[in-house]
Amino acid sequence: MLWKNTYNEFIKILAKPRSYIGLAALTLLILIILFAMKADGRMYISFVTASFEQTLSFNGNILNGNLIAFIVLQMLIVHIPLLVALVTGDLLSGEAAMGTLRMLLTKPISRSQVVYSKLIAAAAYTFILVVWMGFLALVVGRWMFGTGDLIVLNSDGLVILNYADILWRYGLAFAVAYLALMTIATLSIAFSAFADNSIGPIVSTMAVIILFTIIGSLDVSVFDHVKPWLFTTHMASWRSFFSDPVPWAAIKESVWILLGHNILFVAIAIFKFKRKDITS
Amino acid sequence: MNQEPIIEVKGLQKNFGAFTAVKDVSFTVNKGDVFGFLGPNGAGKSTTMRCMLSLIKPNAGQINIFGKNLFEARNEILANVGSIVEKPDFYKYLSALKNLEIFARISGADVNQKTIYETLDFVGLAGREKDKVGGFSHGMRQRLGIAQTLLHQPELIILDEPTTGLDPQGIIEVRDLILRLKNEQNKTVILSSHQLAEIEHVANRMVIINKGQTIIEGSVSELMNAQETLLSIELLERSNEALELLKQQFPSLKAEVISPKTLELNVERQFIPAINSALVNGGFAVVALEPKRTLEDFFIQMTQN
Repeated sequence: MLWKNTYNEFIKILAKPRSYIGLAALTLLILIILFAMKADGRMYISFVTASFEQTLSFNGNILNGNLIAFIVLQMLIVHIPLLVALVTGDLLSGEAAMGTLRMLLTKPISRSQVVYSKLIAAAAYTFILVVWMGFLALVVGRWMFGTGDLIVLNSDGLVILNYADILWRYGLAFAVAYLALMTIATLSIAFSAFADNSIGPIVSTMAVIILFTIIGSLDVSVFDHVKPWLFTTHMASWRSFFSDPVPWAAIKESVWILLGHNILFVAIAIFKFKRKDITS
Repeated sequence: MNQEPIIEVKGLQKNFGAFTAVKDVSFTVNKGDVFGFLGPNGAGKSTTMRCMLSLIKPNAGQINIFGKNLFEARNEILANVGSIVEKPDFYKYLSALKNLEIFARISGADVNQKTIYETLDFVGLAGREKDKVGGFSHGMRQRLGIAQTLLHQPELIILDEPTTGLDPQGIIEVRDLILRLKNEQNKTVILSSHQLAEIEHVANRMVIINKGQTIIEGSVSELMNAQETLLSIELLERSNEALELLKQQFPSLKAEVISPKTLELNVERQFIPAINSALVNGGFAVVALEPKRTLEDFFIQMTQN
């Protein structure tokens, strides 16, 4: 019954116009970034490298597809959570708002299976978003700008990565970014289990992200014990793959914390949904 | 009528915070019944029906369906139940066919395309299967809702207010569908409705609930016959003399003359044929006998008491 309902969820997501808003917005944003970089990218790069030009000399194709993909990832990882929540926050509460939850839950399928099937559909949708972002940023970026060494400006300084040593980093970076986005998806599903309308869970998810991001960026010692446990602190850990050497211990910690949040949010969703009186 | 109980609800209670929606509802539905579920707005009908479909968990009481406890054998029971709660809502962005495929897939039975097309034909939606539900009228959605309840050939069908918002033609169509379900497919149907005349037309047994409690339960005909009916008798003339004749033959009769041609009597339904015979044998030309008390009056009387 789980897979049958998961198949149903895919049909619903594919037929819903709002599912394409995320993909369309992502495509448009990346194309705008690519166009802007094509038009004014050299000036942008020279602005970044200006402070190093007294000690270093930069030769070759610095503005290449690898750098473009990094810029795209950095710019969009902030906005993609909204595109994810737009679809996943609607999965349970949208059915309640439409009245179809009543119909669904009078069928011989358990409530846990309903949540799991929606979770699988959300995971697939988020995966497609990440893969599409990777394709546009890396494949189209390399096609438009060529390939070359990647220069990354980290908090520790400038990191230069050989072009042959980059693809695996992107592969793992997209995997961790996917896990971070799945945390957003499960959080919005958890909110969705509490609500009977579509907007509430989407707004609540974004509110939590903003709140946690603000707490994470406040340089106040009272939050020092909290910050490491906020999922927003670990959402940008994909960036660590572009350090040299790669801080594996920190990445592992981030992965565990993100996984823990995923499990916690799914457990909350199931706990609430199983006990919910369907009055909509 | 087979007396095998299909549903047994005992002492059902449901609170929403401090508000008690259902206080003490009990009734039994037998196999093959078209069972009327009556009550004024806010009586607890929808809450009871939602409890029977496990949409709402009751605070107390027991619901046995097909002899099994609903909350212990939920999936097994629901595989044999078709239902509409309040109104059938569908995925508006999908076609009627896709909607039915979605619900068929999780109905617990193997429902093939042929069955889906046959069911659409049964409810009068043949030819509209590819149309998006968003463009359907309320009546068409109602019929699609009934199609959705029938796909997996359930033994029990629960319909909560299936005629709400329908025009008179739609009401007649749904009523005919219910009768066909009983007569052609031998289904057990539970029907709640504000169209009380509808219950009178299609149900053989009923329960009336009010303020979350069972008021009365029994066979529709028995409950109706046990109640006094306001009978209007239209004669060609001499209503005063007709009244005297009736009072001689039925001394306890409560009756009055309304006009030279009309009498009104309070009488149990079972005595109406005898009254007609007495008038005809007494030489009075009876134009019409019209029982004015209906299930609606009975319902109001019960719920007001």
